[in-house]
Amino acid sequence: MSSRVDPGKLAFGFFALIALAPIGASLAYAIAYSLGLTGALSQGFSLAHWRKVIQGGEILASFGYSAYLAAATVVISISLALFLALALRRQIERGPLSYALYLPLTIPAVVAGFLSFQWLSDAGLAARAMMALGLIDGMDGFPPMIHDRLGVGILAAHVGLATPFFALLFTQLYRAERIDELSQLTQTLGGGRFDRIYRVAAPILLTKSFSNIALLFIFVFGSYEIPLLLGRQAPQMVSVLALRKFTMFDLTQKPEAFIIALLYTAAVLALLALVFRLGWIRDESR
Amino acid sequence: MSPAERRFPALLVALACLFPFVYLAALSVAESWRFPDLTPQGFRPGRWLTALTGSAGLGRSFAISCAISLTVAVIATPTGFLASKFMAAHRRRRLLLFLAYAPFVMSPAVIAVCLMFVYLKLGLGGGVAGVIAAQIIFSLAFAMVFFNGFWSPRVKAMEDLVYTLGGNRWQAYREALLPAARGMLLICFFQAFLISWFQYALTMMIGAGKVQTLPLKVYDYVNEANMFYAAMASLLLALPPALLLWLNKRFVFKQG
Repeated sequence: MSSRVDPGKLAFGFFALIALAPIGASLAYAIAYSLGLTGALSQGFSLAHWRKVIQGGEILASFGYSAYLAAATVVISISLALFLALALRRQIERGPLSYALYLPLTIPAVVAGFLSFQWLSDAGLAARAMMALGLIDGMDGFPPMIHDRLGVGILAAHVGLATPFFALLFTQLYRAERIDELSQLTQTLGGGRFDRIYRVAAPILLTKSFSNIALLFIFVFGSYEIPLLLGRQAPQMVSVLALRKFTMFDLTQKPEAFIIALLYTAAVLALLALVFRLGWIRDESR
Repeated sequence: MSPAERRFPALLVALACLFPFVYLAALSVAESWRFPDLTPQGFRPGRWLTALTGSAGLGRSFAISCAISLTVAVIATPTGFLASKFMAAHRRRRLLLFLAYAPFVMSPAVIAVCLMFVYLKLGLGGGVAGVIAAQIIFSLAFAMVFFNGFWSPRVKAMEDLVYTLGGNRWQAYREALLPAARGMLLICFFQAFLISWFQYALTMMIGAGKVQTLPLKVYDYVNEANMFYAAMASLLLALPPALLLWLNKRFVFKQG
């Protein structure tokens, strides 16, 4: 290896060439397309597509729906994971659970969506179990959880994927941050169970995992496979709506697909910049 | 609750984690499984042989998925390692770290919408090469973010020591940096493989549906309401990483 050529520089150059340049070029193309400057139906510069998007409610509803599902996933997953990590910490560290809790991490989103469909649809496993227990008389008695307004199936799939990861993360942080010792100190100083959990353990675990929680929100906000399988036609999550509009035969929908992609990119980059600015993502090399 | 009392809820959670695999295995060999039965009506394990070797092409999809994911991981891991070193030493490292994070956190589906134009212009649409190139974006970005924490002052001091003792850059990598990073390289390779292995939207869009990896098969079967084949494809998709992880659970997080 020549000592004059910095392999790190070459590698970063490769990243710039294969990732940053195509993404930059494609975003520039998306901007041009959304402004009517290019594309099959281009008629020169126009803000008509943007105006149409802003005036129509579909995209706003899609962003709101995605934000709701992402926020709900974060709240439910983190609460469940905290509960698991605090209640079953020793079992997560050793014993069968220490192995089993890793298994859901290997389930891809498309399979999680499939499982959610198989279990939560009106002919699914949950409905069959309820029928066997005599709780419902037939499919009609089962509450809608797939293609439903609240996105219960979508939430269940995301929560199922995220909770084990965060339970493992919290268990590891519990040890790394010596929360056991801090809890004992709290007890020595007269603190009770409430203080140990809500004033010591939970705040430390949540603060230390802020970056992961923020990333979970961003990932769910842009998720595709799960809402594609389990979501309803309207409103759709951002990724599903963008891809649907892009792949439609109606070419007039394409500029809207690009506008959704641009708005999504701006929102995610702004969130990421905020996460950086607040110091939740630290430069660990320093 | 005493530790003994916690054993039962812990066992329940462990069984809940195992259940998806048991369910998929049962569904994949079920003769039929009609509503409202809780268990399948008969078993047909021979379906696996038909699916893997017959026109369904699950075996072929498994091989394509393996080839693509291995290629992506082989390229992304060392490149990410080297690029992160450049990033960590750069005076504007926070900006570069932000640039590495950006593709990593973006939705592959939305990125695919925009990337299609560039890939079609480059003649990369509808082929394995294009799918690999597109998937490298995400795996490489992950690798750069992952290795950023490796380049601590202690590692820099180790590298400097090699130079002080008369070593060159190649020796610094071979004798100091690569041995120190061996564990992380392995973890990164595994994660980069999984990022590619699980990819659906990007493969579907850039591959134009012609590159039939396993996630595409699962979705196709679900769409066709062929739940038995969907379960088989799902198991093929989830089982190899599950077995690897089960054997090497410490690989998920940085050394616990």
